[in-house]
Amino acid sequence: MTLPVDAIQGLSAVLFGIGVFGFLARRNIILMFISVEVMLNAVNLSLAGFAWFLDDLRGQILALFVIALAAAEAGVGLGLVIALNRNKPGAAVADVTKLKW
Amino acid sequence: MSFQLWLLRLKQQFWRMSLLTAIFYYLAAASVASALFAVTRKNPVHSMLWVLALFLHVAGIFLLLGAEFLAAVQVIVYAGAILVFYLFVVMLLDLPVEVERPRFGSHWPVAAAVGACFAALVWLAQAPMRHPPGIAPGPAVERAATGGPARGSLAEIGAALFGPFAFPFELVSLVLLAAIVGAVVLARKRRALS
Repeated sequence: MTLPVDAIQGLSAVLFGIGVFGFLARRNIILMFISVEVMLNAVNLSLAGFAWFLDDLRGQILALFVIALAAAEAGVGLGLVIALNRNKPGAAVADVTKLKW
Repeated sequence: MSFQLWLLRLKQQFWRMSLLTAIFYYLAAASVASALFAVTRKNPVHSMLWVLALFLHVAGIFLLLGAEFLAAVQVIVYAGAILVFYLFVVMLLDLPVEVERPRFGSHWPVAAAVGACFAALVWLAQAPMRHPPGIAPGPAVERAATGGPARGSLAEIGAALFGPFAFPFELVSLVLLAAIVGAVVLARKRRALS
C-alpha cells in the first residue's frame, strides 16, 4: 500500500491548526481543553506516520506516552475547572480574572 | 503461472491498494470535518460527540498505518476514558448560560490566522524530514511479508516498553499518580478557613 507521507503529515498539520484555532477562539474552558485534545491527536498522527514511513517503532511508543500524558492533563485540567466552577458558576475564561478569591 | 492468473492477481492488488487509499482519504476528510465541527459547535455536548468522531477516525488511520495497539489504545483510553471524563464534567457543571453566549471571542479572525500560520509552520518545518535523504522509507507491510511481527503489533510494543523504554514507562506511571493526587486535591471541597 502506498499512503503518501505528505498526505498524512499534511492532515496532521491541518488538524493541529484547527486545534490552535479552537484553543484561541473559544471562550469556554472545557472546549479549549477539547481543542488541546485535537492538537494532541494531530501530533500522535504525525508520530505514527513517521513510525510507519521510517519503519521505526519509537514513534508509536512516543505516541503512547503522549496518550498517557493527555489523560493526566485531562485529569488535572478538569479538576481545575471544577474548582473554578465552585467559586464562580460557569466555564467562561472571561470570568476568570482573579488568581485568588 | 499462467498469464490470466497473473493478470487477475495484478487486478486484485490494484483494487486492494486503491481501496485502502480511498479509505485513507475518507478518514482524512472525515477527521478534518469532525475537528472543525468540534471546535465550532455551540453546545459543548455536540462538540464532545464530534471529537469522539475525530478520535475514531484517527484510530482508523492508525490501523492503516500498521499501529494496531495504538489504535486500540486510542479507542479505549481516548474515546472510552478521557471523553467520558469530559462529558461527566460538562454534566456536573450544567452550563445553560454558556450556550447563550457567543461561541467565539471577537478576536476569532486573528485566532484563525494564527491557526493557519501554525499549520503552515508545521508543514514547512517538517519538509526536510518527510523525505530524508539517504533513508529509503520502508513501509512496515513489506517487512512483515518477509517474516517477523509487523511494527506496532502487541508483541513488538510490549518488548519495547519492557525493554529499552522501561524507564520512561515507569516514569509515566509516576506522572499519572501525580495527576490523580493533583486532581483530587484540586477538586476537593475546601473546609472554610476560620
